[in-house]
Amino acid sequence: MEHYYRKWFKVLVIPAVILFTLVVLLPFLMGLTYSFTAWRGSYFKGSEHWWGALVGFKNYIKVFRSAKFLSALGYTLKFTLIAVIFKNITSLCMAMMVKKIGKGKGIFRTIYFFPNLLGGLAMGFVWSFIFQNVFSLILFGGESAVQIPFLCNMLQDPKKAVIAMALMSTWQTAGYMMLIYLNGLNGISEDLYEAASIDGATSWQKFKNITVPMLMPAFTVVFFLTLSGSFKMLDENLALTEGNFGTRMLSLQILLSTRENTPPNYGMAQAQAVIFFLIIAVISITQVMITKRREIEA
Amino acid sequence: MKSYSTKRKLIQAALYTVLTAAAVYTLFPIYFLMVNSFKSQQEIVASPMALPAAWNFSYLANAAAQIHLVQSVFNTVVITVAAVALIVLVSAITAWMMVRNKTKASNALFLAFTAAMLIPFQSVMYPLVSLMEGLGLKNTFGLILMYGGFGLSMTVFMYHGFFKGVPLSLEEAAVLDGASIFQLFFQVVFPLVKPITSTVIITNAMWIWNDYLLPFLIIGNNKSKTLTLSLYYAKSLSGQYGNPWELIFPAVLICVLPILAVFVVLQKNIIEGISAGAVKG
Repeated sequence: MEHYYRKWFKVLVIPAVILFTLVVLLPFLMGLTYSFTAWRGSYFKGSEHWWGALVGFKNYIKVFRSAKFLSALGYTLKFTLIAVIFKNITSLCMAMMVKKIGKGKGIFRTIYFFPNLLGGLAMGFVWSFIFQNVFSLILFGGESAVQIPFLCNMLQDPKKAVIAMALMSTWQTAGYMMLIYLNGLNGISEDLYEAASIDGATSWQKFKNITVPMLMPAFTVVFFLTLSGSFKMLDENLALTEGNFGTRMLSLQILLSTRENTPPNYGMAQAQAVIFFLIIAVISITQVMITKRREIEA
Repeated sequence: MKSYSTKRKLIQAALYTVLTAAAVYTLFPIYFLMVNSFKSQQEIVASPMALPAAWNFSYLANAAAQIHLVQSVFNTVVITVAAVALIVLVSAITAWMMVRNKTKASNALFLAFTAAMLIPFQSVMYPLVSLMEGLGLKNTFGLILMYGGFGLSMTVFMYHGFFKGVPLSLEEAAVLDGASIFQLFFQVVFPLVKPITSTVIITNAMWIWNDYLLPFLIIGNNKSKTLTLSLYYAKSLSGQYGNPWELIFPAVLICVLPILAVFVVLQKNIIEGISAGAVKG
């Protein structure tokens, strides 16, 4: 059989290799190279080929001097931190509650998961109306009995908008993350909890010493998904604030960067894209290494 | 013992209350979207939470015309179905071959695919568009290929995890019976990995159906627009003087309805599929 598979391997992986090379590998290598050139999108400035238009680290230096890029970077990191905390606490709490109830688990799982299927752009428009009109004029402002200024006009202020985006993004993804946590919880043997109860463990001790360590594989997956998803977020940013009022995140910055200079400086946009990749790679690898190590210990 | 069971009932009641409140919160934007799709601009702004005074379908009809409903749905369905089929077939075959043929080349390939999961689309999009343009692929067909390439990494990874648990014996028997490689794959191997296939279909279809960025870069504002892209242009082109909510709400509802319909029919499979994928992750 080994021989049989070896023979077919070379033939059958060709489509995947071609697709991967064409769509991921080649553009990735081109992007890396072009970020060191005076690339203008359809041509290279001052040369027919990329090697004639090399500018060294000039694009990168420009990027780190660009106020727009630095602001987007800071805002993205801030949003990611807040969103990851919101999403994880919400989904873990929901999973633990759903685990404990008797009937109706299926209905709750279905309802919570549903927003995940909807588009960020489409639902972002709906949420922008909710934040602007319902929150600001009806629920927490206007003539409402409950006055919470922080929840009014959230989309016009970067500090409030980061929370607004985190609220919407949590609404969208928490149900999915909950399913992963619930799966992890269902895999923990009841015997462990019973034994701990007999030994007189409190609920907190059981959570800390049984639930958390046993749930580590789920933490690895959920942290990875929420971290990269929040860091890369584009649609919600575009639909809610269009990046105005200092709320532009990195994805939107890379997209708009070529539209804001004439002639469009694609080399500089690509340098931002490479930095974007490096940050996300470092964050994700570090996170997976940390949570994986804990899995082995557990 | 009695007080214990009373306490238990109280806890259960509290849990149901919190979970129901969360469910209402989750569904609120959907309710909101539905009631406001039948109102005039004035009515939406004046009473956004209330049911419409009259169920007026003219706004939906207008939105359907503005986003070129039939054409957009057709485009989106073609792209989603073709791209998902491409991802599923190519990834399943590749992952199967990688698991069955443990060589250095196979391991290196798997490593490359896994590492590529870290590459965000934004960091390759400009060179990708330029490359595709050069190849004459800045069109629907090119878009399908791009989704195929981008969906590959994650999907191969998921299938790879699943194939490791599929025993060899069935395949050996089929080969001894004289099955061809394609019979072997489609009749023996592929049916065995159905649970992960449904997960793969759902996650990829969800992403491709709703995607905004790739169609925006490749197709732009022309006849091959997808549903999400049409919605974006309908809003951005008519929104110079404040937001035309009486157009946006019904247009969003139209984009959401097909997903809602599919979800209502397939909810059990979808939730189970996602949960199955979560274990392997």
